[in-house]
Amino acid sequence: MQFHVDPSDELPLYRQIMRQVMEAVAGGQLSPGDQLPSHRDLAEQLVIAPLTVKKAYDELERAGYLRMARGQGSFITGKARELDIDAKLERLRPQIRRLLQEALLLGVDVRSVKRLLSDESEAAKGVPSGSELAASRGKKG
Amino acid sequence: MSVLSVRDIHRSFGKVQALRGVSLSAKQGEVVGLIGKNGAGKSTLLKIALGLLHADQGTVQVFGLDPRQRPVEVKRRIGYVPEDENVFARARIQQLLELHAALYPSWDEKLAARLLGALVRDTSARVDRLSKGQARRVMLACAMAHRPELLLLDEPAGGLDPSARREFLELAIALLNDTGSTILFSSHYMGDIERIAGRVIVLDQGQTLVDEELDVLKEKYCVALLPSLAPDQLAALEALPGFLRQQARGEALYAVFALAPDAAAATLAQRLDLQDVRCARVNLEELFIHLVGGPA
Repeated sequence: MQFHVDPSDELPLYRQIMRQVMEAVAGGQLSPGDQLPSHRDLAEQLVIAPLTVKKAYDELERAGYLRMARGQGSFITGKARELDIDAKLERLRPQIRRLLQEALLLGVDVRSVKRLLSDESEAAKGVPSGSELAASRGKKG
Repeated sequence: MSVLSVRDIHRSFGKVQALRGVSLSAKQGEVVGLIGKNGAGKSTLLKIALGLLHADQGTVQVFGLDPRQRPVEVKRRIGYVPEDENVFARARIQQLLELHAALYPSWDEKLAARLLGALVRDTSARVDRLSKGQARRVMLACAMAHRPELLLLDEPAGGLDPSARREFLELAIALLNDTGSTILFSSHYMGDIERIAGRVIVLDQGQTLVDEELDVLKEKYCVALLPSLAPDQLAALEALPGFLRQQARGEALYAVFALAPDAAAATLAQRLDLQDVRCARVNLEELFIHLVGGPA
């Protein structure tokens, strides 16, 4: 997989890497057993400090996504898939952030946004979920 | 063990106090970015770490040694690129390489050639005839080809175009990968600092304003946008835990906190009765402006 980082983003680099791995697991681009590039290779590729890559991998290992085998490399774990609710949430984060920025620009406070969110989640109950949509697409194809 | 340890350094030039009690330390493999406005004391600090300048007060230890007492031993393990100075401007590249090879027992000719890149094809060129980027590259090669354990760089990318700057960063990453060196570098390019530094030190008027992991700066610091405050409220603001700096801009007041946005907003609501204050995480450039920008 291809990584991309933006150093001037408010999100720290190690979190950007973590997010991309989580998203790739959630999206199916990375599967259990897949190997990630070494610290040094990814550091050279992204032109960032090797310690930053190490930090991202360490955190991913702690979160259960990665298994690091000494001298062999870093691999996506079998249970990474089960964890991907976090990844899905991470995927929503930028949209939530944009929403809040927009709200603040309009002078709407966070409490009102929360109220709006719960109103809308009531209204969204009739909408089919992602897995239901996928199932219906499968039938057509 | 710290590769570099500086304790309570003071240094004046005539009546100008360049450094007023600066301390810092750097561990093996760490990359520390030094930022601050012109005249904040960055170059003086780097020169004191190298032993080129003495401190009026305070202690410096490099590899556990005093660079003023053991200059040769210490300098052999350091690489240094001064700010915008080509010390040997009239020399040819080849002469500079020979000089450095003779000075440093650990000089690696192959690495020097790699660091020089395309310049290696004609090493008879005089340094003052090179472009600014090329001359800088020669200085970097000379500072890095002995695989220094500590690299001190003063504005290494100053005056370089974006592609030359990126090349320099790539060289630095290669050195980190190969040698696990410690790097202390000053820069006005916040993007470069954000790319390779693990820790950031903000110098302001000869003092350390912030010394923090870059990730912490991004996640646990924020800028609050406040209405202008009455003097007693301003005093209360400045007394808040985590408060760092405030600056008025027009009708608004910007305050920097060493707190995550929600914590800062909660503190402001609780202690100053300011509800729903906008507190935002910012990138390093914004943080820098809000910390040390504006009139000195």
